[in-house]
Amino acid sequence: MASHATGRSGPSPVVEIDALSVRLLLHREQTRSIREYMIRLLKGKRGERDEFWPLHGVSFAVTPGEILGIIGPNGAGKSTLLRVIAGIIPPSLGRVIVRGGVAPLIDLGAGFDVELTGRENIYLYGSLLGFSQKDLEGRFDRIVEFAEMGEFIDVPLKNYSVGMSARLGFAIATDMAPDLLLMDEIFAVGDANFQTKCRARMEAFTSKGVTMLLVSHSLDLIRSTCPRTLFLNHGQIVAIGPTAEVVAEYQRFSASGSS
Amino acid sequence: MSGVLDPSRSPGPETGAPQPGVYVADHYSSARLLTLLRYRELLRQLVIREIKLRYKRSALGFAWTVLNPLFAMAIFTMVFSRIFGARPYYSLYVITALLGWNVFSLGSSRGLESVVVNGNIIRKVFVPKAIFPVAAVAAQVVNFIFSLIPLFLYMLAIGAGFSLSLLLLPIPLFSLACFSLGIALLFGTLNVFFRDVKFFYEAAVLAWFYATPIFYPPEIIPDRFKFLLYVNPMYPLLESLRAPIYHGTSPPAEILLSGLALSLATLVIGWVVFHRFEGRFIYYV
Repeated sequence: MASHATGRSGPSPVVEIDALSVRLLLHREQTRSIREYMIRLLKGKRGERDEFWPLHGVSFAVTPGEILGIIGPNGAGKSTLLRVIAGIIPPSLGRVIVRGGVAPLIDLGAGFDVELTGRENIYLYGSLLGFSQKDLEGRFDRIVEFAEMGEFIDVPLKNYSVGMSARLGFAIATDMAPDLLLMDEIFAVGDANFQTKCRARMEAFTSKGVTMLLVSHSLDLIRSTCPRTLFLNHGQIVAIGPTAEVVAEYQRFSASGSS
Repeated sequence: MSGVLDPSRSPGPETGAPQPGVYVADHYSSARLLTLLRYRELLRQLVIREIKLRYKRSALGFAWTVLNPLFAMAIFTMVFSRIFGARPYYSLYVITALLGWNVFSLGSSRGLESVVVNGNIIRKVFVPKAIFPVAAVAAQVVNFIFSLIPLFLYMLAIGAGFSLSLLLLPIPLFSLACFSLGIALLFGTLNVFFRDVKFFYEAAVLAWFYATPIFYPPEIIPDRFKFLLYVNPMYPLLESLRAPIYHGTSPPAEILLSGLALSLATLVIGWVVFHRFEGRFIYYV
């Protein structure tokens, strides 16, 4: 498993991140109406630059088939990092290269379109992931069964529980093995039974060589699934390496009162 | 938090300029049009959703696409036929322009808010954001095409003639779609940053509707306001729809082509502005 730190040219990394920074302009990103904008203008606060860097100078690479855990306190930039890799947030500085098909499982609790039924959401999310209608018709029954939807499949998503939406999202995104699976706290939802199924599917993916990035606050989950882990704080990498060492460092950091 | 703010690092240009950061992935291309084409399956889904959602939980469903303009036409005919009734087939005169106007007003206003409305999707997966306004306008074009069936039936019923120049219809329809999309992209960009835009736009569209000869003939506009016709892009667009359907003639080439050119120019401006600011949308939706 430990394939890190070899200078020889192996297969190209699935994710290659070089000096990645994401910058937010706080005052600007929080103005929502012309009225507010005018008030700021009048107060002369326009020129003020309160920048915030959710990610700052992050560099690492993920090799094919690797499962990388990502840990860190709230607001460390973990979700931002996954979003940048997924292409949702553009990098402000630096370079991000992703090779292969990406299935992002980010913030799935709310589903995609709450007005649409589960069935329609399967087609919507499926086409967002690049599947064709025909392709999805073939997968439909398997997805419904895995997500344990039953008769709920024709009910609008707004009547689903958070766990149910997340289950559906997981079932769609993982029906076909992607090259890269991005998971943000997906195991926080769903009951024990579903979690078992998710783990079984992830294990199947491991043997298929799917690369996975797993953000979680559950250190037990990280320890049991990820050989290598990245510890993020204030948008910067504190440590990256074998999970046992990185988790130990994170625990020392948490115990010391953080920040 | 002081360690996070690093003034030594050049923050790059101020607003929404092309990001100095580089993102490379299979599903993403800096050629926006190519990325959009790659997502055509999604576009199809979005168009279906747009058409479906509008009439969801209504007993008549899709039939409303046809009934809506029919009712509007009936009302305009009842209210104004006394005044403009001397015009032969006044109802046909109204409905032709009304259908075209609907493509524009519904397409552009739905398209304008579509990025914000679909924030839920934008926050969760990568998606070429222009796909939402494109889908909104495309849905209205589909609606228009469907409503041609009852329109032609109506023409048969009232004994209006069919002209070969109907074959030219795709040109003004295409122009109309491009113009609507251009407006949707342009104001849709603004609307992401200032949600007031949507409300301003709705009011403006209402005024625009009355300023355009839709239910009245252009001749009634007093001379000193005639210039309005020539600065109103919707006038040549709707007249080129009217020519083959109502007048049974081909639209004059200069009207057809100037409408097309103007629409394409609007689209290009909207497209460029939209993509210039696209990178910042994520923080506002």
